[in-house]
Amino acid sequence: MYITGDQTQLAAPPTLTRRSLRVLGTSITLLLPVREQARADLGFDIDFTELDFLDCQRQAAMVPSAYDIYEQCFHNLDIVWFWGALQPIDIARIREWDNISDLVKLGGVSKYAGRGRGDAPVKKLYIQPGGFLGSKPSRHISMLPTVHNMDSFGFDARVFGSGPDIRPSWAWLLDRRAKGRIALVDEPAIGFFDAALAAEASGELEFADIGNMTIDEINALMKFLERKRVDGFFRGTWRGGDEAAALAEDGSVAVQSMWSPVYGKLRRARPHFTEAAPVEGYRAWHGGASLSHHLRGAELDMAYEYLNWWLSGFAGAVMARQGYYISNPARARDYLAPEEWAYWYEGAPAARDLAGPTGDLAVFAGSRRAGGPYVDRARRIVIWNTVMDEYNYAARAWDRFVRRVQEGSAA
Amino acid sequence: MIRSANPLAQEPRYELIARVLRDNIRSGTLPAGFVLLEGPIAKVMQTSRVPVQTALRQLLEEGLIHRFDGRGYLVGVESGAVTPIRRDIRDLDLDIPPLVDDALQTRGTWRHVYDKVEEEVASCQIIGEFRIVETELADHLGVSRTVVRDVLARLQERGLIRKNAASHWIAGPLTARTVSEKFELRGIVEPAALRLAAPHIRYAEVEALLDRIVGDATVTSQELGEGLLEYCIAQAPNTALVEMIRSNRLLLSAVDRALIRLGLPRDEDAIEQYQTLFDLISRHPIDSACEYLRDHLSITARRHLARMKIVAVIPEAGAFAPYLSPQ
Repeated sequence: MYITGDQTQLAAPPTLTRRSLRVLGTSITLLLPVREQARADLGFDIDFTELDFLDCQRQAAMVPSAYDIYEQCFHNLDIVWFWGALQPIDIARIREWDNISDLVKLGGVSKYAGRGRGDAPVKKLYIQPGGFLGSKPSRHISMLPTVHNMDSFGFDARVFGSGPDIRPSWAWLLDRRAKGRIALVDEPAIGFFDAALAAEASGELEFADIGNMTIDEINALMKFLERKRVDGFFRGTWRGGDEAAALAEDGSVAVQSMWSPVYGKLRRARPHFTEAAPVEGYRAWHGGASLSHHLRGAELDMAYEYLNWWLSGFAGAVMARQGYYISNPARARDYLAPEEWAYWYEGAPAARDLAGPTGDLAVFAGSRRAGGPYVDRARRIVIWNTVMDEYNYAARAWDRFVRRVQEGSAA
Repeated sequence: MIRSANPLAQEPRYELIARVLRDNIRSGTLPAGFVLLEGPIAKVMQTSRVPVQTALRQLLEEGLIHRFDGRGYLVGVESGAVTPIRRDIRDLDLDIPPLVDDALQTRGTWRHVYDKVEEEVASCQIIGEFRIVETELADHLGVSRTVVRDVLARLQERGLIRKNAASHWIAGPLTARTVSEKFELRGIVEPAALRLAAPHIRYAEVEALLDRIVGDATVTSQELGEGLLEYCIAQAPNTALVEMIRSNRLLLSAVDRALIRLGLPRDEDAIEQYQTLFDLISRHPIDSACEYLRDHLSITARRHLARMKIVAVIPEAGAFAPYLSPQ
């Protein structure tokens, strides 16, 4: 057949504008060193648009034409995927696919490791017939798994004690000893579960499935939190790592939700503000990168180049320096000094001072990562960040609670 | 359906308007030479202009009013001597018998406003729980509280609102549990109704839908869902069953429409499923279509739940009508 369209294409003048790839994401992965290295290695421009979790999801679902790559988490993928904003990723085009860990592909680091409740990434990984997401392997995936971590909370050792004998429990997050000096992360798929774990660990409430709570269970949790709020337990809530660092630095919290990179930023609070390895286990999350629905041809090829670059080692090393793990650690190891690898992945004491992702001092020589080596931490995942069936209901109830906490602390 | 006790409720609105004008002309409240304009009359009667036009034409034929060299009609027989009286009809204190007023409003407005209110009340529930205040709804619609009560009664009857302990009207929130339950009910009753309907299915319309799926790129899964209900399921010779199916679907369809307004893209997978379903209905034993419908509903339920999650990141501001107060 004679295709006239192709002729026009051939006749078009070569384009002079430098090619560019637009990445929409959050502060978890949109780091300057990552962008600069990717630009240098890939030979095209990379534009970052960084938003908070909720704005990022809304933007990704509603305006897929405004980005090429979406970097977010598996747990909130539903929101965007079922809005038709993304396209499947062909694993045949992912060079490192075979080296991606079983934590993503199976749901646990080994056959015997606990799986964790809620949105384990494997449940959202593979595309199933009818466009659903599920754990049954197929050639196409929804999101390329990249960074992840097991989160807990941070506590003031002067209040809760220190040393090898302490047994931090999620119950501390609502402990009387920290009354008036407690903060939670304001994100309904994250802070909500910190609070739920605390409520369960303290023996106040019990959920049949903490990863998919019923309306009655959500109501009970919110009522419990409201009672604690009225009793003056909460200092506030926060949305970003800088806010969390400020709360710990000025001593206004004795226990709070924490993200790993925040520990590296602490100065005054560093001697006493401690990362917990909770006896109940961790709340984990897994991030990744997806392809916008509109990508075709050369643009799609660029997007795949970027995905493959992400797993080629450099980005994984940058992530490690802020305490995040990568889905194929072996490549990242090539870009980490042996002392860095030993500290971040193997749980060994830091052999020297270690720098964070942007070069600032993050870890003092001799310190040890709470919870030990990667595999030990990953074995103890009890819940993943989750967008439950009743998310809409829970998120609104959570928002009302947060507003009251903020009004209370402002007054 | 709401049945009014008012004997005039079944009379057309133009008849009621003509009756009011006629009586007021005869009593002299509307004097000879008074200029009758459609707009102000429509306002007094709380109707649209269309029935006013018809009523005026009727009075013209009866010779009670006449045309003149200006806008509107003059009261009385044409004589050439009268000076047009231009005053606002609202100042005249027209005599409108309560029964007529009531009939005008219930006939004229509750149906007129109901569909819009139903849509707003149903779709707000994806956002959360709302209270409806009677007086605010009346102000918003520009109708009497009698009309508003009829509207609310109808909404309650269809399961869209309820009264709480404080006797306030409450809508929502729509939870995943409600949606799952509604789909579960659909999975039980709709295949059963389809089986009963088999001898009565309107096959020509089903064929037409199949043609549209193939030939019309603008066809939506909502239209096909409506077609399945109207031409197939609702043909079941059991009115109670069909009524139950309709009211069970009400909230789900409203949610669908609300999501489409937010920008939900066309659902290609669902359209493909309807194609298979209509094909089974029109060319194969009905049992296979019933089984497929059951599967289709369970898949649709999962998709529905997943899609609703986006509502949590949609800002609430401006997303619902002003008479709905978030609780």
